[in-house]
Amino acid sequence: MKKNLLIMFLLLIAAAALPFIVSEYGINLAAEICIMAIFAMSLGLIMGYAGMVSLGHAAFFGIGSYTVTILGSHLSNFYLLILGSIVLSGLVALITGAIFIRTSKFYFLMITLAFGQLLFALTWQLKDLTGGADGMKISSTMNLGFGDIVSPLGIYFVMAGAAILVYIFLRFFVHSPAGKIIKGVMENESRMKALGYDPRIYKLLAYSVSGALAGFSGSLYGYFNLFVSPDLTNWMFSGQVMIMVIIGGVGTLIGPAIGAGLFIFLQNFISTYTERWPLIMGLLLVILVIVGKGGIIHWFALLRSKIFYRRSQKRMEYAQNHAQKEEVTN
Amino acid sequence: MSIFSIQLLTGLAYGMLYFMIAAGLTIILGVMNIVNLAHGTLFLISSYIAFTFISQNVGFWAALLLAMAGTAILGIIIERLLIKRVYGKELEQVLLTFGLTYIIADTAKWIWGTEMHTIAVPVFLDSSITMGSMVFPVYRLFVVLVGCGLALLLWYFESRTRIGAVIRAGVDDRDMVSALGINVGLVFTGVFAFGAALAGLSGVLGGPLIGIYTGMDSEILVTSLIVVVIGGLGSWKGSFIGAILIGLIETFGKVWFPSFSMLIVFLLMVVVLIIRPQGLFGREVA
Repeated sequence: MKKNLLIMFLLLIAAAALPFIVSEYGINLAAEICIMAIFAMSLGLIMGYAGMVSLGHAAFFGIGSYTVTILGSHLSNFYLLILGSIVLSGLVALITGAIFIRTSKFYFLMITLAFGQLLFALTWQLKDLTGGADGMKISSTMNLGFGDIVSPLGIYFVMAGAAILVYIFLRFFVHSPAGKIIKGVMENESRMKALGYDPRIYKLLAYSVSGALAGFSGSLYGYFNLFVSPDLTNWMFSGQVMIMVIIGGVGTLIGPAIGAGLFIFLQNFISTYTERWPLIMGLLLVILVIVGKGGIIHWFALLRSKIFYRRSQKRMEYAQNHAQKEEVTN
Repeated sequence: MSIFSIQLLTGLAYGMLYFMIAAGLTIILGVMNIVNLAHGTLFLISSYIAFTFISQNVGFWAALLLAMAGTAILGIIIERLLIKRVYGKELEQVLLTFGLTYIIADTAKWIWGTEMHTIAVPVFLDSSITMGSMVFPVYRLFVVLVGCGLALLLWYFESRTRIGAVIRAGVDDRDMVSALGINVGLVFTGVFAFGAALAGLSGVLGGPLIGIYTGMDSEILVTSLIVVVIGGLGSWKGSFIGAILIGLIETFGKVWFPSFSMLIVFLLMVVVLIIRPQGLFGREVA
């Protein structure tokens, strides 16, 4: 826990110091990374802690960004708009999730994908509401109560603050009793059933929280990009955020955020040199699958365990004993 | 009335295209336990191959065979070289096949550009049958016939041949099949190549109907995934019925509720899932 606090502290310092090191372009990029980090962490929650692999998470991102855009033309309160998009995407996740979680893994993947494409089709077809293929401009500006925030630096600090808040929230969530039950359901559903928990309720809870957070990141993206288009709900975008989660490391909280950072950085870096970014990304993915083992976070762990082999061995034993004890007390 | 029956034919023709691609997808999923996200891009690449051959004055049939062979070979390469390494690893499979969609689709964009292409309807099918006030394009009838023929063939293959029995057994219990001394690796490669060839068939036959454009691979993938979900994993019968349902609903939905055709398709899927979570003809999901 102490080490985690130290990491948190270092991250905070890094986030605060970053604007003094990089250019304005870099600040913009960092703001985008923070938004995508929230999005990736939300998907990482259900993938890594509830075992649900969704290929339609961009649906919630899209709901969030379209909510602030559409409601923003009638309403200007930042907090209300953000709250509205969180509640709406959470509700949609709750309702659809109640149907989706009845199914097992491959079905879940295909159904969430279909759901994402449904929203994609609707954003195209409901032209009066969403602007169709042309997309929409967002009319309200970010105002936290002390004046409009329009400078890249200001926007960056808001996004970085939001990402850190979400991270802290998720830490509390996965370590809360409900969070532990969710993980227990992922590891052994029948055991949790035998213990008297209803797995569906906890899976649905995880899915709704995840959907709400994805909606939150989407609403922030609306303020960041000032423009929304149907592409935000496309399944390819859902796939991209899944890539962020997997390259960062499934089963950790910070891994997906790091994956988001790497992905967005590479995307911007390579796109400045070539138009063939999709091809290069595809090749990188295939190479990653063939040679990689479980995401960057786990590479660090592997490296560390090679250097401090004996020590980590002991720690593993300790962790295993500890986990067993925890199981008994649960 | 006349418009209705023409829409009916169009819906059936689209349904048959979905059936051809979903049949491959569902059998790959049922036997090999892999969601092949690159299945839509195999459809796309086959359309492009056929388009290129036909524009070089190769005949329609030859182009069809070449495109199917091409996608089957591509399927074999993908399975032997890549997918073989990720059996049983769900996340890696998703990542790998997703990466493949990017590689194939972007390469296709590089070679053929972003403008829309079409495959011309072959001359001998480029006519129409008039019945009273109704005019039926022969090509659509042809696609429906091919689809029904394929359904019959698959039924025969599945229930009357030895390989069909192995595949059926593979859907039910993969470990038992390998314990019986059957070369599962070969079966997997064969199934994948066969599925790819079916996607290829669908791609070529779909060319004159839907055209060829970037992004169509996603659309066709999603529709055929819905067909698989409705029909049930590993069931050709389910795919056939599901595909016809979706083809008809989509076509009539586009006429009657243009803004909500996708919504109706999705709602159908949801209703099926609520009533039968394993799909219409799927076996109980473990």
